[in-house]
Amino acid sequence: MSKKPRETANIGAGLWKATGMWAWLLFRISGLILVFYLGAHILVISTAQWSEAGKTFNDLMKAFEHPVLVLLDLALVVAVLYHALNGVRVILMDLGIGVRSHKLVYWICMAVVVIVFAVFAYVAFTYIITGKGVM
Amino acid sequence: MAEITFRVKRQDPQDKKNPEAHWEDYKITYEGNLTVLEGLFYIQEKYDGSLAFRYCCRASVCGSCAMYIDGAYRLACQTNVKHLDSAGSPDPVVTVAPMPHLPLVKDLVCDMTDFFAKYEYIMPWLIRKSPDPEKELLQSPKDRKKLDMPIDCILCGCCYSSCPSVWGEENYLGPAALLKAYRFEVDSRDEARKDRLSRWDNERGVYRCHTIMNCVEACPKELVPTEGIQWLKRAAIRRRLFGRLK
Repeated sequence: MSKKPRETANIGAGLWKATGMWAWLLFRISGLILVFYLGAHILVISTAQWSEAGKTFNDLMKAFEHPVLVLLDLALVVAVLYHALNGVRVILMDLGIGVRSHKLVYWICMAVVVIVFAVFAYVAFTYIITGKGVM
Repeated sequence: MAEITFRVKRQDPQDKKNPEAHWEDYKITYEGNLTVLEGLFYIQEKYDGSLAFRYCCRASVCGSCAMYIDGAYRLACQTNVKHLDSAGSPDPVVTVAPMPHLPLVKDLVCDMTDFFAKYEYIMPWLIRKSPDPEKELLQSPKDRKKLDMPIDCILCGCCYSSCPSVWGEENYLGPAALLKAYRFEVDSRDEARKDRLSRWDNERGVYRCHTIMNCVEACPKELVPTEGIQWLKRAAIRRRLFGRLK
């Protein structure tokens, strides 16, 4: 294939208005976030065997109770939910379901994301404000 | 009489003095209706004869005049300026640019060499192996109906230009070629499915499609290439796993 310079003046050209483009980009970004989280998660969990009686681990867990880190947890929930639900949409499309109505399917999936996120947000903010768990 | 401004993206990569892209404004007066293609003719006749663009049929069936008009992929001959978003304003400006992400030849003309090479690669013609029947090859109305969507493709290249998978992998076949593969895949008369399979059943073929749906968004004929590509993915898996080769 020819190696000619490409016309790049309009990168993404107008398609930023299209649902599919955003769905795909956010899917990639949330996937990257999850990969990095997985590494961090393994690191944190492995601290349990670092010191006597898991002191490092317990101290870390204490630090995670800080409101800012609870908010970061909440951000992680968004990434997981988005990746999971958009993944469902992509699997459905691979099965040939809803290819023509992919935008509707996308917004239904996003509605599920919002609903489930609301539950998590309720739990997190109750904890941040009152310092106690919901149950 | 109505007046409209065309903001055309001009670039001549071979011009030694000014090889950079630049926008030029042209005032166009017209009566009644005006398509973008007619506007370009007007510019060529009245202002600048060196403006380069492709056209042929002027009836949106040849796919030569696909351009990036007013922030969307459109066929210049099919686009009435009155239907554009900018038409409502008191001093309307229509932006006309070549299709993005393709190599540029000049002004509004893109290099479609790769596009057609990939199109040819999937063997877009009917292949028969059994002896020809005495009369015509019959097809049931039900079988014919399967071809309704894919045969409307006019090879304008809008889907190919809009696909992020094509931007990232220059050997990816692209939506148009894969839609054509689908067209022969569902044709009851075709007998070369086995030969074509290895051409699109790989990482440069159907599996490079991430269902981003830009092709559907871009297609001026309102086709759904993704539907065809997804169908091909399932057909490939059926065959590779269960050996249903015909």
